[in-house]
Amino acid sequence: MIAFDRGEALRYLGYKAGQQPDEAVEERLLRCVSEMQNAVQPKSVFRAFPLAQPAEGTLELAGVTVCSKNLSRNLKGCGSIYLMAATLGIGVDRLIARASAVRMSDAVLYQAIAAAMIETYCDTVNDALRQEAARAGLYCRPRFSPGYGDFRLEHQRDLCRLLDTPRKIGLTVTESCLLAPVKSVTAVIGLSSEPQPCHRKGCEECGKTDCAYRR
Amino acid sequence: MKLIERLGKEWLFFDGGTGTILQERGLAAGELPETWNLTHPEEIVALHGGYLQAGCDIINTNTFGANALKYPDQLQAVVEAAVAHAKAARRQSGREDAYIALDIGPTGRLLQPLGDLPFEQAVELFGEVVRIGAAAGADLVLIETMSDSYELKAAVLAAKENCDLPVLATVIFDEKGKLLTGGTVDSTVALLEGLRVDALGVNCGLGPEQMLPIIQRLTEVSSLPVIVNPNAGLPRSENGRTVFDIDADSFADWMARIAEMGVQVLGGCCGTTPAHIRQMIARCRQKPFLPPVPKERSVVSSFSQTVEIGGRPIIIGERINPTGKSKFKAALRENNIEYILSEGMMQEDSGADVLDVNVGLPEIDEPQMMAQVVTRLQSVIALPLQIDTSNTAAMERGMRLYNGKPMINSVSGKRESMEAVFPLVRKYGGVVVGLTLDENGIPDTAEERVRIAEKIYRTAAAYGIDKKDVVIDALAMTISSDSRSAQVTLETLRRIRDELGGHTILGVSNISFGLPQREIINAHFFTMAMQNGLSCAIINPNAEGMMRAYRAFLALTGQDAQCSGYIAAYGSQNTPAAPLPADAVMPLGESIERGLRERAEQAARERLHSTPPLELVNTELIPALDRVGKGFEQGTVFLPQLLMSAEAAKAAFEVVKDAMRGVPQQQKGKMILATVKGDIHDIGKNIVKVLLENYGYQVLDLGKDVPPEVIVETALREDVPLVGLSALMTTTVVSMEQTIRLLREKKPDTKVVVGGAVLTQEYADSIGADCYARDAMATVHYADEIFA
Repeated sequence: MIAFDRGEALRYLGYKAGQQPDEAVEERLLRCVSEMQNAVQPKSVFRAFPLAQPAEGTLELAGVTVCSKNLSRNLKGCGSIYLMAATLGIGVDRLIARASAVRMSDAVLYQAIAAAMIETYCDTVNDALRQEAARAGLYCRPRFSPGYGDFRLEHQRDLCRLLDTPRKIGLTVTESCLLAPVKSVTAVIGLSSEPQPCHRKGCEECGKTDCAYRR
Repeated sequence: MKLIERLGKEWLFFDGGTGTILQERGLAAGELPETWNLTHPEEIVALHGGYLQAGCDIINTNTFGANALKYPDQLQAVVEAAVAHAKAARRQSGREDAYIALDIGPTGRLLQPLGDLPFEQAVELFGEVVRIGAAAGADLVLIETMSDSYELKAAVLAAKENCDLPVLATVIFDEKGKLLTGGTVDSTVALLEGLRVDALGVNCGLGPEQMLPIIQRLTEVSSLPVIVNPNAGLPRSENGRTVFDIDADSFADWMARIAEMGVQVLGGCCGTTPAHIRQMIARCRQKPFLPPVPKERSVVSSFSQTVEIGGRPIIIGERINPTGKSKFKAALRENNIEYILSEGMMQEDSGADVLDVNVGLPEIDEPQMMAQVVTRLQSVIALPLQIDTSNTAAMERGMRLYNGKPMINSVSGKRESMEAVFPLVRKYGGVVVGLTLDENGIPDTAEERVRIAEKIYRTAAAYGIDKKDVVIDALAMTISSDSRSAQVTLETLRRIRDELGGHTILGVSNISFGLPQREIINAHFFTMAMQNGLSCAIINPNAEGMMRAYRAFLALTGQDAQCSGYIAAYGSQNTPAAPLPADAVMPLGESIERGLRERAEQAARERLHSTPPLELVNTELIPALDRVGKGFEQGTVFLPQLLMSAEAAKAAFEVVKDAMRGVPQQQKGKMILATVKGDIHDIGKNIVKVLLENYGYQVLDLGKDVPPEVIVETALREDVPLVGLSALMTTTVVSMEQTIRLLREKKPDTKVVVGGAVLTQEYADSIGADCYARDAMATVHYADEIFA
């Protein structure tokens, strides 16, 4: 069982705040949630690394150089980071592929439910990290993933290599830097000794203002 | 002495952890351990030396992650150095008796179709390492830490095809006893025994304690020597470092306990050190050695499930077969794989245990189609498959690409057939159907059929194929041409069971060919056949009469505990429901708008009594679809509803089409849809496809991860005026741009419409698309413009 934000799932399906699905959709939604609960196998891995910021917009972590103004702004004042990766497992891909062959309406419901689930699951992992950091007197920055703003998608490869995700949680990167299984996330989480008042989440920090799924 | 002469006959011990020790010696996180073969040779020799001095029999080369993806330029040097270091350590330790295992781990990539690595490329990546390692002097190949049965199969095939060394394979299970991709102990053993590895087992992931139930099951089902290489307990993070919680003493305690469970090879994985191995060997050597015991189990498997033949009769669904089915034939010709998948899913829901797959049609490329269908079926259906073809090339493609141990339909008593099929069964594994016919045709006595069965068993044995991996087809021939034929078949079944101790199979419904109301005969014959020992029945599981006979038989023969299967199937069914009164039928338009598929079908059927088909389409179906489409664009109808309506409309269209059979049907136009090269996300493309088909377009769906050349070739061959391309990420929009460029060059008159999460009008303009569609309806409108 994995919790998820139903409102978030509806948002991916195009419903605006306050709008509710009709009876027929609601019935299918419930059925799909229960199928999805049987299919997910959430797994995660994380690890702390030291961080150096030799110049504005340039970051160095575990031998990898990242050029990203957005990430640099996110990590300002951080001396170390967590890298994290999370996945709902390959069962989700199978379920979506299966529905795609016979009932596309279920496929889009599955896709939205799983998208909301991976968000919630990442939040759970994130909370655990926040607590671990707190014990060391450190504060977490909002998580930041490759593909956000100018943090290049190609860094998926570095994150997965540094965390050994194929072996540890079955998370792989395709040649074109997509994650497989499909409902997976990798992220950088800054650690600093200064609390940051605002816990902004991904969308607001992202430079892609014309994204269809922007909040 | 050669390893193979000792394996399974005496205790053998593997070494322990590699990566964890190298990390202690300074290997950085993310640094590839195999580079140390070149940069820190003395450390690698010392690592092996430590284990050899601890007394292990087999050391693993430092090549776990060595493949051409990670070492495009240095692979040969890395692998050769690894073997040389192992040899040096062996020499320096005076342990020339020890064996060097060429260690092979996973590629780190996911195989197609859920990932993007083609199966054959995986085979080649592993094959390259095997060739280098074997030439450098390794004594065996150890495939380890595999978490995906499909990749495991690729690695074993690569090892077998590229060297003559013993091949050992171990996989990584989680605490529930599952591989990351869903496999179980049973399915893994079935696969590996089928592929004829020399020993199999488990490594990494868990400590010895957590492995106990897995080891228990391994020893219950495996006929091969079992290897157990656990971690030093469970990992935990200490100041950012991974540490393991079991010391050498308690590791040895646990391993001594495991040594009593009927395993034959022991060692360690992450976190274990020479101290762990030394103490383990000291404790385990004193234990009595138990050789592996052959388990006479007839098993087929998929990526996650096994079906055992010989208990309750097995249902093999026969519906994936074009014989006598015009819709299925059309699906094969149009490459409509979704239709075939839906046939498979329906049979799964009806209670099939295995699906027969026959895609033979004279005008298609059968090996290619078999490859495609097997690959797609096994990515969405967990039932084992039965590869059914008389085309040896198609059989081999299907068996090779199959993610498990398949059934194979079939071989016969003809010499030519056995010479073609048995080598494939030997190489890829499987349970093969043996037809009781030979050069002289089909015998009309049971005696002669039993003789042919004996010949098939005997010849199979000469190829090293056990009797348990052959099921004999006693051949059901219609009683309409020979009234004794059922009796002969039943006698054959009985004698194969009683005299030969073999398993049997029948294509049950052949018995009634040429008779009216065939299901009456089929169901009764089915019961009689089961009573006479039938192990596997090839039937239509969607035929209720057959499943009734089956469930009743199980209940009556004590094979359905507390009749629970029977009650689950029929307990809630009362007398058949009376047809709904006419006024209860929801109007067709409303059924479609509300997305109610069954109601839409029912309404269409009703209306066809009074309304001509075309009028129904134009006055009700299309207007309902238009209303839903408009609502979607205005934001009052949402994506799930849009698709549910489309599916309801599609069901109604099918009813109308059936009513118009014989009347030539018009299609508005033909277009291509594809998710571009490098992109494996195809939901968006599939949504668009559903809607386009609704609006009367013929869609050539090329799938996902489609190279530009394939799209362009298809556009040229089919002379397609419009191509729709989908890409999800910035990294894959690049291939979209390449596709458009190639299309402009080779077929400039074809228009291109693009869509996908990261695309915008501007972005679409910049890559030269003719149209940017923000959603599925926009694509329909553009198609309407082009084909107007």
